[in-house]
Amino acid sequence: MARIELRDVTKRWGSYYAVEHLDLTIEDNAFVTLLGPSGCGKTTTLRMIAGLETPTEGRITIDGVPMFDSEMGINVPPNKRRVGFLFQNYALWPNMTVFQNIAFGLSNINESGAAVNDAGEVVRDETGKAPARKLTKEEIKRAVDRVSAIVKIGQFMDRYPSELSGGQQQRVAIARTLAPGPRVLFMDEPLSNLDAKLRLEMRSELQRLHLSTGSTFVYVTHDQMEAMTLATRICLIDNGVLQQYDEPLTVYNKPNNLFVADFVGNPAVNFIEASGTQDGNGALNLSILEDHKASFLPNGGLKIADWYAQDDKAQAEIKAKRDERAKQPGYVEKTNKDTVFNYNIARVVDNEEKRPAPTRQDFVLGVRPEFIKIDDSGAIEGEVFSAMPTGMETTVKIRVGNFLLTAVVFGGVVYKIGQKVRLSFSGDNIMLFSRENGRMIGNGTIQL
Amino acid sequence: MTALASPKPSRFRRKMNSIWTYLSKPQNTILLALGIILTVTTIFPMVTIVRDTVRLHPGSVDTNANAADAQVEVMGETYTTYNWTNLFTDNITTRVGRERVTRSVASIYLWTPLLNSIFISIFACFGAILYGGVFAYLVTRTNLKLKKYLSSIFIFPYIMPQWTLAVMWQNLFNSNVVTGGNDGLLTSVFGVHMPLWWCQGIFPVSIVLALHYAPFAYILIGGIFRNMDANLEEAATILNTPRWKTFLRVTLPLVKPAILSTILLVFSSAMGSYPIPHYLKLNTLSTQYVGMSSNRAGQASILAVIMMLFGFLILIVNQRTTSGRKNFTTVTGKSGQTSVVNLRSGKYIVAVIFFITTLATGILPIILFAIETFLPNPGDYSFLTNGIAGHMTTKWWMTAENVTENGMYGQKGILFNSEIWNAFGGTLIVAVLCALCAGTIGTLIGYCVSKNRRSKWAAYVNNMAFLPYLMPSLAVGVAFFVFGSNVGIYNTFLLLVLAGTVKYIPFASRSALNSMMQLSGEIEEAAIIQDIPWWKRMTRIIIPIQKTSIISGYLLPFMTCLRELTLFMLLCGQGKIITTMLGYFDEMGLYAFSSGINLILIVVILLFNTLVNKLTGASLDAGIGGGK
Repeated sequence: MARIELRDVTKRWGSYYAVEHLDLTIEDNAFVTLLGPSGCGKTTTLRMIAGLETPTEGRITIDGVPMFDSEMGINVPPNKRRVGFLFQNYALWPNMTVFQNIAFGLSNINESGAAVNDAGEVVRDETGKAPARKLTKEEIKRAVDRVSAIVKIGQFMDRYPSELSGGQQQRVAIARTLAPGPRVLFMDEPLSNLDAKLRLEMRSELQRLHLSTGSTFVYVTHDQMEAMTLATRICLIDNGVLQQYDEPLTVYNKPNNLFVADFVGNPAVNFIEASGTQDGNGALNLSILEDHKASFLPNGGLKIADWYAQDDKAQAEIKAKRDERAKQPGYVEKTNKDTVFNYNIARVVDNEEKRPAPTRQDFVLGVRPEFIKIDDSGAIEGEVFSAMPTGMETTVKIRVGNFLLTAVVFGGVVYKIGQKVRLSFSGDNIMLFSRENGRMIGNGTIQL
Repeated sequence: MTALASPKPSRFRRKMNSIWTYLSKPQNTILLALGIILTVTTIFPMVTIVRDTVRLHPGSVDTNANAADAQVEVMGETYTTYNWTNLFTDNITTRVGRERVTRSVASIYLWTPLLNSIFISIFACFGAILYGGVFAYLVTRTNLKLKKYLSSIFIFPYIMPQWTLAVMWQNLFNSNVVTGGNDGLLTSVFGVHMPLWWCQGIFPVSIVLALHYAPFAYILIGGIFRNMDANLEEAATILNTPRWKTFLRVTLPLVKPAILSTILLVFSSAMGSYPIPHYLKLNTLSTQYVGMSSNRAGQASILAVIMMLFGFLILIVNQRTTSGRKNFTTVTGKSGQTSVVNLRSGKYIVAVIFFITTLATGILPIILFAIETFLPNPGDYSFLTNGIAGHMTTKWWMTAENVTENGMYGQKGILFNSEIWNAFGGTLIVAVLCALCAGTIGTLIGYCVSKNRRSKWAAYVNNMAFLPYLMPSLAVGVAFFVFGSNVGIYNTFLLLVLAGTVKYIPFASRSALNSMMQLSGEIEEAAIIQDIPWWKRMTRIIIPIQKTSIISGYLLPFMTCLRELTLFMLLCGQGKIITTMLGYFDEMGLYAFSSGINLILIVVILLFNTLVNKLTGASLDAGIGGGK
């Protein structure tokens, strides 16, 4: 129904860049989540697409029709964009009953050939030739009935919002948003005010809703789990800059950089600092965890030097583009500077001393907890630091020297604190990052 | 994608596009229009008053022979510097008894009244904060008895006309021997003669001002006490902090902003108060202005300019203090039960003390005014001493024809006096129109400013609307008097409504802004997204949700207008509105009439307050309490 395109969209307040030169294409019928830490610009992005916030510059189109264009001076007001918006605290009108809340927007439709079909859906004449008309009372009733049936709030129609529970309010808000038949549905952290159990339930209902309405959904959240489970694509933003825009599993397994790797996944990924060189066979001989030796074999025979050459070229292009922007009149320097992500190495005792600047022989390995294998054949010896069994799985923190590694073991395994264990790294999805710039070099396998 | 291929429009076209986008938001258009209107209505009268200080006034001292050489002609108009030079440099010789004393003009017309004004303002601040603040603490944080009754009676002096307590003071303590005129209640019943300093001058003026503005302090400080998160104090208690230390280090700093804004508001209001020093015979800037406005008109304007400068000063201080870091948010929303200090048996004793004082300031004036209207002659309380009810009379109310005997001076009784009822009608017209204009404009300002929080223009409009609030009433009155005479609308309802609207917009804009700020922007955005037009969003969503505070925004200007004298007395003839009519009867010595008018005013105001409170839940204290 709707394809959204953002080109070079920037929003800044003074010299603070909330969103910086964002390019994003949201395909029709997609379920895209905008994910990032709080204050990263994801809500601003959503509000700019909806028209509630005016970008500083750039271009936004919905279905090819420009909604905002700083060069052309176009800015279609939010009410003319035909979108739906679900607010974080629902924004139900407290002075109206549930029915009135849902019907209010419908009673206001006055568009060419507007009508409600037998199924209760609002239809319009897309050619624009039919005369504008208002919906009749029966039509409005039919449309309200349809959406209230979808979210199962039929029995609350005469109540006021204050007489409803949080979950019920949420459903009313969804019904109100769906009623006029928006082509896109924007949601701003819609589940964050619900308790954990209800949130899980609503999550699955939203997924069904996406399927049944066939609309494009854009969804803001800071909860990576919500993003992973719901989205067809995740758009990860940090400090106003797009970090990665991919399918959930790609984001999980092939994160663009240390920030993405760290942000996605729970329990968080293990970062292990490593340094060494690539030998003739393509294997990196690394020293890790103070006194352990490991060999990292990149998938697809990747040459580290080639990667750096390519990366340097790409970075030079980006820098050239940025320099050119800086020359343009009206350019404002970003005060909220972008920095290389300061990854956290888990240690028993934090002894953060000043270290020399990383060289191209310095790397960071990213190991997801499920790739750490605990069995007696493991090459590294450690000691159980803490163990948290949930029944379905057990999260174990293992101490190796001064370092802590987190592993997930499936099934109800009981570990004793202080118990000696041996571990190894399994699978070919171990990630290798450059410590110099934080970007991911590639996946591979580790042999100890 | 055809749009992509279209050529880049011209710079002019793009500019027009962006202006159109800006103006297509109603709040921007309204803000622009209101900003321009307010600038004109606020700044223009001020400019005219400054200009008035250098203008020639026919029949005034600046046209006398000495002043001829100080005149300059500019563009066909005659200007003079005489008013400034005479006021600040010349001396004047007066006869005091047999001696001739030479004093500078400034010391007589400027420094003495200025010092008096400053002194009573400072004392009024301290008195109001002490009395109102202590009461606020007792009502909100202790287990005082009779809280509900006391807190509603406590604000009576603020609702009632300013001069009520001053007149009551006169009626109680005056005596023919000490002050001249009629004997007051104390003298006629008990034969007690209070000393002159007690009856007139700085002492009673300060006390009466403090009592009048104490409710203000109570409402502002009490608002913070009431909403204060109890956890803040409990946290200190858990850390084993002594109670007095908790109060000094935690509680007091939190109410400091409220105390500061009380000081600023009381200071500027006391400075511009006319009736209280007038009745209690103290020479202040405002009485001095009125006293010299006919033969030293230009110099009187200089006094008004000085009063305005105080207003600006207060505005600047207000800006500094409210925007600073120490402006705490005390409303966290999570505060549960506020802890209550147990006064033990003190809860009865303190309640009785306040019961008596509020009785004296809130109920007694009404009773006294009522009695006055039944006395055969002013101050003749003989029915109290001889117990004969026949010594009372209803002639002040009931006389239906013109009679010159009985001390009626040809006036009909209050109930049949068309002049009084015409003036009363005039007051109602002014009050209703002022309330409608000020309430509507103030609400719109509150709405628009809350929608444009970051915009400098919005901040400017907000300040422009707030400025007259901090200007002494008399200075605003003078500005509009000079402005109105120049434009030729003196003694019209138009001028009264204009002045009243400008002066009272802040009441409405404050309460609207505060409540709009608490309304999440999403509530309206949810409607915008659904293409609901602006007027429908206002009438169906914003106004219904905020109706209480919006009604207070209309109620406050209305109430204040009913009892306003200082602002209006220069702008119209005496028969136009009821408060100036009251001054006329006072001058005539028809005290029973003025008491009767006072009584009617007070009863009407209290009735309206109760009615609106019962009907809508809005109340005066809630409105004032919303002040920044």
